[in-house]
Amino acid sequence: MQQEIRYDDRIVRQFLIAMVLWAGVAFLVGIWVALQLANWKFNFDLEWFTFGRLRPLHTNAAIFAFAGNAIFAGIYYSTQRLLKTRMASDFLSQFHFWGWQLIIVAAALTLPLGITQSKEYAELEWPIDIAITIVWVVFGVNLFWTIARRREKHLYVAIWFYIATVITVALLHVVNSIEIPVGLFKSYPIWAGIQDALVQWWYGHNAVAFFLTTPFLGLMYYFMPKAAQRPVYSYRLSIVHFWALVFIYIWSGPHHLLNSAMPDWAQTLGMIFSLMLWAPSWGGMINGLLTLRGAWDKLRTDPVIKFLVGSVTFYGMSTFEGPILSIKSVNALAHFNDWIIAHVHGGALGWNGFLSFGMLYYLLPRLWNTQLYSKKLAEYHFWFGLLGILIYYISMWSAGITQGLMWMAINDQGQLIYPDFVETVNRIIPLYWVRVIGGTLYMIGFLIMVYNMIKTIQNRGTLEDEKAMVPTFVSLEPSPQESTHRRLEGLGTAFSVLVFIAVFVGSVISIYPVLNIHRYVPVTVSVEPYSPLELLGRDIYIKEGCYVCHSQMVRHLDFDVIRFGNPSKVEESMYDRPFQWGSKRTGPDLARVGKKYPDLWHYRHMINPRDIVTDSLMPSYPWLAEKKAEYDQLPKRLRVMKSLGVPYSEETVEKATEIARKDAQAIAQSLRDQGVTDDNLAEKEIIPLIAYLQALGHKVKGNPNVSLSK
Amino acid sequence: MNQNQEKPMEGHEYDGIQEFDNPLPGWWLLTFFGTIIFSFLYYLHYEVASGPNQEEQLKKSLAAIESLKKGGPALDDEKLLALFQSSSPDKGKSIYAAKCAACHGAQGEGLIGPNLTDTHFIHGGSPLAMYNVISNGVLDKGMPPWKDQLSFDDSVAVTAFVYKLKGTFAANGRPPQGTPEKTQ
Repeated sequence: MQQEIRYDDRIVRQFLIAMVLWAGVAFLVGIWVALQLANWKFNFDLEWFTFGRLRPLHTNAAIFAFAGNAIFAGIYYSTQRLLKTRMASDFLSQFHFWGWQLIIVAAALTLPLGITQSKEYAELEWPIDIAITIVWVVFGVNLFWTIARRREKHLYVAIWFYIATVITVALLHVVNSIEIPVGLFKSYPIWAGIQDALVQWWYGHNAVAFFLTTPFLGLMYYFMPKAAQRPVYSYRLSIVHFWALVFIYIWSGPHHLLNSAMPDWAQTLGMIFSLMLWAPSWGGMINGLLTLRGAWDKLRTDPVIKFLVGSVTFYGMSTFEGPILSIKSVNALAHFNDWIIAHVHGGALGWNGFLSFGMLYYLLPRLWNTQLYSKKLAEYHFWFGLLGILIYYISMWSAGITQGLMWMAINDQGQLIYPDFVETVNRIIPLYWVRVIGGTLYMIGFLIMVYNMIKTIQNRGTLEDEKAMVPTFVSLEPSPQESTHRRLEGLGTAFSVLVFIAVFVGSVISIYPVLNIHRYVPVTVSVEPYSPLELLGRDIYIKEGCYVCHSQMVRHLDFDVIRFGNPSKVEESMYDRPFQWGSKRTGPDLARVGKKYPDLWHYRHMINPRDIVTDSLMPSYPWLAEKKAEYDQLPKRLRVMKSLGVPYSEETVEKATEIARKDAQAIAQSLRDQGVTDDNLAEKEIIPLIAYLQALGHKVKGNPNVSLSK
Repeated sequence: MNQNQEKPMEGHEYDGIQEFDNPLPGWWLLTFFGTIIFSFLYYLHYEVASGPNQEEQLKKSLAAIESLKKGGPALDDEKLLALFQSSSPDKGKSIYAAKCAACHGAQGEGLIGPNLTDTHFIHGGSPLAMYNVISNGVLDKGMPPWKDQLSFDDSVAVTAFVYKLKGTFAANGRPPQGTPEKTQ
């Protein structure tokens, strides 16, 4: 018995249009921040638009708004057809769509305002975190409900990847976002120091894995064979590389923390699991490319195939480069510089971008019931995009490797050859301009696509949900002839539970040991918590996004130690909520900057960095000397810190505001004595910030290996 | 692998998508098992057996760098004065402009750091005293050490330049700090 049903195509159109809109925002902000690195004047001396606040906007827009909407469009389109049923609930689909767009708008408003947790790709504050959880659960319920109502007994490989995505992203988001609110737009994570670092990069790396990789692999498994009209190359390769990928990916997070204060074993685990990830990743590439056997001629004529092949090729390149970058000694050269930026843009622009565009060209005529307006323009889009990516990739490789080698260079007298940090930055500024060209070309290609899309939609036929004849009933009972995995493909719940176990094992083994942070702190050591004034300054440091360009992690590498001082230790950040180790050094490391320069140096440097360092490309922060710091919030903040185990006395908590103001007066007075004219200086944000910077590297007592100088 | 002989798997059809069941490529399996074996041995060596940890590796490489450092010649005021004669004044001036002027002012008039053009000194105004302050810094006063950033010749050149600033009394100078230098 067959019955006629209609797939929900409206929701796909909605997500597709949202994808294009947000892609435009992500690319535009990308070009803007690229310009800011080429010339500091593009910060416009406005607090909402400094690099520290815009860079998170760029990454969030690219990942969650552009790629996110692309994923949802593809999942809603393919899932219904692969399961031979309409989505279980149109209401949940619409809730998901509008909820997600609201979250993006909230992100676009709060990030420029400096409302941030400073955890990369998880910057959004707690109310938005809750909203994300709700919307994600709605998406998950809708997907699993649809799976339960399917008229196709076995789940196709694309669905496996969607299941892995829904389950793991939920786990990552919830665990990484456990935080205690201290106001409507401010919270402290329960994780501190190495815990926070490990949890954050377990999240950060697997956001790449389960938000930018597994769902896109699922999309590839649908759109590649559909567009090529060829069978998938190897079913058993699908099985092996799926399970290997899901199991191994989750362990690899600590490769973001190599040579750091992270315990050796965790670093080594992160490195070796990244190496083992190479083949499972390439399994996806092989299955994608070899599916095209017998259809390679379409590469010349079909823009969809062009984009998909380009995409899978970049996936192969990125997943080969990733394991290499995870090798400790390679990482010593590449970490904190633009090689990593090159790496992620190969993935984002090439793999995610091109796959989304290929999917869009596939879906446009089908969803709008018409022909693509111009194949020729789609061809132009491809070549502009490809050229843009290559220029981007090559310029940032060169910039990263150049700067990395300059940081490492030591002469035959044991001295750094480039001791001035700013010299190593200015050397690569020309390449920052080249990058702007690459990004602009990519944007031009995108705009050609938008034009093509508008023209196509103008020619649309009647918009109606596609009809399909499906069986009225399909038995989901396992049959004895099936192989074990085939049987599993018919058991949606069992399959999902196994996926959960696969990602849970690695998560627990790598995170559990650091839950007791004291295990890694020598007993002779005492760490003084930040004074109330310093804590207030730290919150301003986070708000301004200083961590975007400044690390606080002197690695266990000779050239790092010679440049910045003794390697950072676990205890130094044990009260840091959130941790501020950073991931990129556009400016120097600050772990030991405390007391290195006088207060007046910092005061003048914040207001205009070029007064102190002529060639600096840091934005100016004149508003820090004008805006009032939130002294009255301090007791609340200290109370939360105390509840999380920071040893503040009850008296300090209660009198936090007075204590901070008293310390601030002393700093303000000494600045006034040296000529700063502002009678109300102590109330301004710049004073706590200076107090915080001056405290960096001076909070640990009892460890002879931790001091200002070597 | 003649694809004419390949048959898509029976019962594997999803929205028109069929599947082959080609064997896993040999080179791919080799890569996979190779990385697993390597990883296992790597972990054993570094985390279970006696492979060096990062602390030990760092110590070793820092010691090697330390051994490269030649102690500069033993210095006193006379030797330094002689070295001042042979050092390039232009070099001293340009190093001063790049590294010192931000805090001590373009003319040495003092700004964040003390005035260098008067005859008062906090840490002494002799060539050797100046050379030592420039090399080793005065950490609790915010003067950074420059010995790791400047070569010996560069340190001498900039010390010579600063030494010549003494007594030039730049306009708008910061008020004198420290003690007046004894006239010789």
